[in-house]
Amino acid sequence: MAAQLTKGQRDEIKKQALDDFSRYVNPQKARVLKNAGLDIIEGKREGAAVWDITGKKYIDCITSAGSFNVGRRNPEIIDALKKALDEYDLGVFLLCSKPKADLAKRLAEITPGDLQYVMYGSGGGEANDFAIKLARGYTMKNDVISTLKAYHGHTGFSLAAIGRDEYRKPFGSMVPGYKHVPYNNLAAMEEAVTEDTAAIIIELVQGEGGIHLATDDYVKGLRKLCDDHEVLLIFDEIQTGFGRTGKMFCCDYSGVVPDILTIAKSLGGALYPISATVYREELGDFVMTHAFTHLSTFGGSDIGCMVGLAVIDFIVKNKLPEHAAKMGERFQKGFDELLTRYPELLMEVRRKGLMMGLQYTNDSIGPRMSYQLAQNGVMAIYTGNEPSVMRLMPSLVIQEDEVDFVVDALDKSMSEIMKQGGIEKY
Amino acid sequence: MSIIDDILSKTDMDEIRKETEENYRQYVNPFALRMFKNASLDIIEGKREGASVWDISGQKYIDCVTGAGIFNVGRHNKEIVEGLKKALDTYDMGGWISIVRERGILAKKLAEITPGDLKYSLFCCGGGEAIEVAVKLARGHTDKTEIICMENGYHGVTGFALPATGRDVYKQPFAPLTPGYRHVRYNDIGAVEEAITEETAAVLLEPIQGEGGIIPADDAYLRQLRELCTKNEILLVFDEVQTGFGRTGKMFCAEHSGVNPDIMVLAKSLSGGLYPLSCAVFTEEIAEFLMTHPFIIINSFGGTSLACLVALATIEYIENNDLPGHATRMGGRFMAGLSALKGKYPKLVLDVRGRGLMLGMEFPEDSIGPRMAYQLKQNGVISIYTFNNPRIIRIMPTLVITEQEVDFVLEAFDRSLAEISKQEEKNAAR
Amino acid sequence: MATGDEIWEALADFTEQCNNNKRLRKMQRDWTKILHFKAIDMDDSFTMKVVEGEIVKNDKGTVGTPDIIVETDSETMCDMFWGDINPTQKYLRGEIKVKGTQEDVMRIDVITAVIWPEV
Repeated sequence: MAAQLTKGQRDEIKKQALDDFSRYVNPQKARVLKNAGLDIIEGKREGAAVWDITGKKYIDCITSAGSFNVGRRNPEIIDALKKALDEYDLGVFLLCSKPKADLAKRLAEITPGDLQYVMYGSGGGEANDFAIKLARGYTMKNDVISTLKAYHGHTGFSLAAIGRDEYRKPFGSMVPGYKHVPYNNLAAMEEAVTEDTAAIIIELVQGEGGIHLATDDYVKGLRKLCDDHEVLLIFDEIQTGFGRTGKMFCCDYSGVVPDILTIAKSLGGALYPISATVYREELGDFVMTHAFTHLSTFGGSDIGCMVGLAVIDFIVKNKLPEHAAKMGERFQKGFDELLTRYPELLMEVRRKGLMMGLQYTNDSIGPRMSYQLAQNGVMAIYTGNEPSVMRLMPSLVIQEDEVDFVVDALDKSMSEIMKQGGIEKY
Repeated sequence: MSIIDDILSKTDMDEIRKETEENYRQYVNPFALRMFKNASLDIIEGKREGASVWDISGQKYIDCVTGAGIFNVGRHNKEIVEGLKKALDTYDMGGWISIVRERGILAKKLAEITPGDLKYSLFCCGGGEAIEVAVKLARGHTDKTEIICMENGYHGVTGFALPATGRDVYKQPFAPLTPGYRHVRYNDIGAVEEAITEETAAVLLEPIQGEGGIIPADDAYLRQLRELCTKNEILLVFDEVQTGFGRTGKMFCAEHSGVNPDIMVLAKSLSGGLYPLSCAVFTEEIAEFLMTHPFIIINSFGGTSLACLVALATIEYIENNDLPGHATRMGGRFMAGLSALKGKYPKLVLDVRGRGLMLGMEFPEDSIGPRMAYQLKQNGVISIYTFNNPRIIRIMPTLVITEQEVDFVLEAFDRSLAEISKQEEKNAAR
Repeated sequence: MATGDEIWEALADFTEQCNNNKRLRKMQRDWTKILHFKAIDMDDSFTMKVVEGEIVKNDKGTVGTPDIIVETDSETMCDMFWGDINPTQKYLRGEIKVKGTQEDVMRIDVITAVIWPEV
């Protein structure tokens, strides 16, 4: 971005941006980020990296929780979007269109099993809201079971499914009929299922919950439980989808096919909001008898669908899932060393592909590590529902030397914190 | 193969149509496709420009649906398209955690153009999502839970917005919904007064009901509402998703009455018909809730760098070309023509109403709305009935519509009404 | 022009098709309505009672308070019950009149779409 700017001008832009943000968006958010050393005004963005307007480079390990799998400002996706702009606008949500139809077909192809029909949205929460509505409408049952520490979005039907009260408390009454049970605990789920259970909604790796991995046995058990009780199984693959965990979708590991799959984030190629709820043919019968009861003006816009198609092509062509698996292993080697070197700080690492979580020994270390990592050229934050866990979700186009750079930054940051002390549990 | 390529052969067109319909049938929604075909709305949009859209077969239509007001600046507005393309040379979405510079600039602009002391903006993707934010801010700020909303209102389909939507068919299959919403009659101040309790957090309404059948709120009613809300420490929320950005002849519909809401919800035309973006704009006092809860409402796609740049270009376009003024003039031309049609077809047309270019024509029974849509399509105009009231057909063209195009639409209405009159006479004779 | 007996027979045929279609029954299980059918070229009317997707009773004449009133000529009505026409197309062209909510009109189309997908 504007390489000819002087340092003084850049500083001025940054000051103005922070000021505008504080004055018209959210002053406290600006302050929190500043304190965390994350008051970055994004300038240049490329691949796995982002540059602050002042010129400092960072490896982005936040990627809006997995929105940038194809890398930031991926030239192929940008070209596809520009090309789309030559012909298309949003299109009219009510009408049939070629991009909508093309992407729907492509999604049916790449999603597992007999997942067939698509309802588009623009954000992940919207996709989960529709998944839950579809489950209630189709089964004519009410209850939804989700898991503790789960995150599914902030729109109403999704917010009620979140496994943490703090997100809900100030907003009063929620959509009724939700239960939350411990994750990876099949017995708890069995106990919670009743005659009135419409659906189980679950992330295969809990993202905000602290990077917890569902075991294959658990996922298979859930499928059987659902089949036995005519309950629909919803996989929220908003963070885990599109190669993030080393497979196109995380459910490809266990081979379990859900009744409804929700996807968002990286489908938009870091450029354009789009999400989708993909569901089995049978469930289409409900949508048929209740045509036009769920609408989205911006969901599945013509431009968004063109971007989605380019994203899928890029991921498939460049075998990003395999690359993610490989880079994940390279990270793991570094983590293994850190685990031996800093047992007082780092308790455990949980990882599937490039969905990685560092379990620190206590809550305060997450925020302190964020600050240190920013000094060392890495953007990373703790997970929303579990501050003792730092999430690392770099873009899937990250290269070996960049992996090494991040591991090195972790090493330096941990070393600094050890020097500072104050890490004992409180 | 380009869909707007003039040299595309008829065989290629047919091929695209066939493939698109087959994919739609198999992977999107077979029934919706059937409905489109029945209603003759099986248009596959090709070229889009100004007030018009072309089916890929080359047939031109004036778009009077515009996704219920997405395309105020015109379909595929060249200036804004170029702006977005240029932005793509530098930007992407931007990270949600980052301080997105463009977001600050847009928020500042919105603070300037929205009425009263609306100041802070929280960005999302869709209108419904922004309604969710408004409801949550109201509840969070007031520590109360009840929301008074309007019969036949439409505010979206997600969890906090859906219960506010005043029509059962949207809600009943998905119940139980978020509790605490009370629906009252629109334009009836007494009904609101009666519905207020100690638990009331906000009154939420559209200053012109869109899906409810293009029903404008009386200015006096809005002023009384403002007074009532202030007196009872209740927040007033305007849903200007459809009415915003020049649609009604003012930048925002609230300006007609001079009533300033505490929260205003914007979407649709905010982002030029090119990029998903919505927001809730609210007062400094309400923003205090977000000081104590800065990360309680998060989303990855709301207010991306690209979205904000598109919105800034859109607002600039609206201001530079005085689209609100143009909407007033074209709206006047429409009203004169529509009123004449009411005189000409007194049995068919009960009422014509609206403000600026948010117009509706009311028929004596439900079935005429869908039938008019069908006839209008035959006559080169795309329009549909309002979702909550099928006896009203909506006229919401882009705000760049020209006089000739207005006349074309009026002529299409005339022909369509003539055809339906003929059908009715034939039926009566049987 | 069809006779009242022909319509009655066509209606019985339609009823059997609907009630024997398992998929349709499941899809329509949240639909409980009374429909009146009026043949405008003769004085005959018919009542159909649907409970949770099942057509539980047909009557000659009008019985009960209708949710939906369908009016057309006797010939079109027979064709509709036999699946020889697409009723929505006729509706939009003014040849079949339906009084009721737009959602119920669409439901009627769903029924025909499921039992006669090719029409």
